[in-house]
Amino acid sequence: MEVQGLTVEFPTEDGLVRAVRGVDMHIAEGEVLGIVGESGSGKSVTALATMRLLPKRAQVSGQVLFEGRDLLTLSDRAMRGVRGSDIAMIFQDPMTALNPVFTVGEQIVEMIRAHAPVGKPLAWKRTVELLDLVGISEPSRRARQYPHEFSGGMRQRAMIAMAVANRPKLLIADEPTTALDVTIQAQVMEVITEVQKAVGSALLLITHDLGLVAGIAHRVQVMYAGRVFENGATDEIFYRSVNPYTKGLLRSIPRLDAKEKTRLYTIPGLPPSGLSRNEACPFRPRCEFADAVCGTVPELVEVVPGHQSRCHHTQEVSM
Amino acid sequence: MPPALSTARPMLSTARAKRGTGDWRLETRLKWLGGWVHMTGVFAYAVRRIFTTIPLLVAATFVVFVLVSISGDPLARLATCTTCSDAAYDRLIDLYELDKPIPLRYVGWITDAATGDLGTSTSLGEKPVAGIVAERLWNTALLAVPSFLLIAFLAVVLGVFSAIKQYSIGDYLVTGASFVGIAMPTFFFGLLLQAFWGVWWQDWTGWKPFYVTGKHVASFGDYLASATLPIITLTIVLLATESRFQRAAMLEVIGSDYIRTARAKGLSERRVIFKHALRNALIPLVTLWALDFAGLLGGSVITETIFAWPGLGQLLVSALPNLDLDLVMGLVMVAALLTISFNLLADLLYGVLDPRIRYD
Ligand SMILES: Nc1ncnc2c1ncn2[C@@H]1O[C@H](COP(=O)(O)OP(=O)(O)OP(=O)(O)O)[C@@H](O)[C@H]1O
Ligand SMILES: [Mg+2]
Repeated sequence: MEVQGLTVEFPTEDGLVRAVRGVDMHIAEGEVLGIVGESGSGKSVTALATMRLLPKRAQVSGQVLFEGRDLLTLSDRAMRGVRGSDIAMIFQDPMTALNPVFTVGEQIVEMIRAHAPVGKPLAWKRTVELLDLVGISEPSRRARQYPHEFSGGMRQRAMIAMAVANRPKLLIADEPTTALDVTIQAQVMEVITEVQKAVGSALLLITHDLGLVAGIAHRVQVMYAGRVFENGATDEIFYRSVNPYTKGLLRSIPRLDAKEKTRLYTIPGLPPSGLSRNEACPFRPRCEFADAVCGTVPELVEVVPGHQSRCHHTQEVSM
Repeated sequence: MPPALSTARPMLSTARAKRGTGDWRLETRLKWLGGWVHMTGVFAYAVRRIFTTIPLLVAATFVVFVLVSISGDPLARLATCTTCSDAAYDRLIDLYELDKPIPLRYVGWITDAATGDLGTSTSLGEKPVAGIVAERLWNTALLAVPSFLLIAFLAVVLGVFSAIKQYSIGDYLVTGASFVGIAMPTFFFGLLLQAFWGVWWQDWTGWKPFYVTGKHVASFGDYLASATLPIITLTIVLLATESRFQRAAMLEVIGSDYIRTARAKGLSERRVIFKHALRNALIPLVTLWALDFAGLLGGSVITETIFAWPGLGQLLVSALPNLDLDLVMGLVMVAALLTISFNLLADLLYGVLDPRIRYD
């Protein structure tokens, strides 16, 4: 998938909220791309825009190329064929993402049958296999239960089973573990990556937790205030970041080897509002490198091949 | 039931049989009786609920009994009657046990009522109350049942329509119409219908398709011609509130995460709305249905009076000024029973519609 110049704006009572401001993004087959950024940086909106799942009033422009077709200009009917089949999504809150009045099995069967001419018995059999695949014990009994009879972690597993039911080429997971108990976050992450490998799909992993993408993602894209601030191979970002914002994020990861009594670093200040029309670099008020040059938004420039950063002070930051 | 369940069943029983360890008895029962184990839970709940309504009925009827008993003297009318003998006094005193204190009279009434004897009506020619009420209940039902079906159906249609077309012209029209419906008094709309079909329409066209007053049931056509206007009158007000409620319920559901999930699955919009959204949006409406239907079956004083329809509402209007105590009590009893039983029905329906609800 190749996203070019994606822009999303919401007309609201307070004015136009510019949630996503020209995002480029590409994911190769089987690749794992991590998207990181603070709350409100436009990660979810970007993901939902590619699936065309935003509310109607959202104004979306740009291109979302998938297998040569622009998803943003596809007919509703053709788009429905893509959703759940070519691209599937796992949402943040498994407590509310499943319909409470249908059994978990029914909901997965529905996903299968929406895209393939499969009879119910066969779809049901496949559903039970899928639940087994994501590590749900007694899958045939569990399939007949309702979402409220599942724990949070199990619901997210069920969501994963549903998402991969049609072997999608791209799996989008929007903060799939944020709403879960810390003790099961790692398990669920493991299920996602295992299943993703088994199915052979690409994975777009959205999170605000840099630590989470470290071991999983091939590439990381850092977003801030609706823009991509840095983009590169995971190791590049973690060890050779040239962006003040990314560095701030990296410093705010709790470390096990930290000396006693060091307080966890936090980036000072708050991200700008989506309403902001300011032409300056949005990170300027929070940045230690900020000076007069930062009165304009920097371009995303290539630092080394495959590694881009959006900053006027790339030279100083990298030192 | 959604289709997947039927395919699930055989698999389930084998899975359970294989698992069979600890409580084998429960499993056999599940296996042989299917859903009946669950039904027992509902049944027990219903029985418990029915028993808890008894004190409620006693309290409600006691209050009404006392209020009606102290609101007038059944003997007063005899005082102005020149032809009545002392025997008439004695009969009324005997009938209403006027020589006893009110609480004792109530005990007498409730013990009779418990055995099914609701007493005798004095204003309608000394007939048993139970018979009169049953006949009038049937008449009221002739209006209430079609009206309820119409309300429930149209409320869903209008509510869903204005929710999925939120802020469209259609939505504004429905919203505007329902505010008019809510604000307009019943009697005004009833009288308007009568004036229109009974006078104006006839003046213009010389044709009068509806009876504007009275109950006519000689044929089905007659029934339609006489019941249509009162049914419309009953429907308008309740439909206005119910469609607003349905719209709100639907809007809330449409904004929820699982609707986004349904869309992300690539389902058609029709399936998303009518299967995933509507199924959830109907749940909060069940209580409203139950209360509205109970209210309709209890009879509408205004509509029945305007259209001279001999139902329960009209009966209450005539029983009260006549101090026909047993008749008033009989009507109160019916209204209370209707409300209580439809509430219970609503709670049971909740359990059917919402799997999260357990009766234990
Ligand atoms: N439907 C909407 N209407 C108006 N503004 C919206 C809407 N959805 C999102 N936004 C705005 O878009 C911006 C980006 O939101 P988004 O949900 O993409 O953030 P995020 O990066 O996913 O954050 P989080 O980590 O909290 O999930 C926010 O400022 C939010 O207020
Ligand atoms: Mg988000």
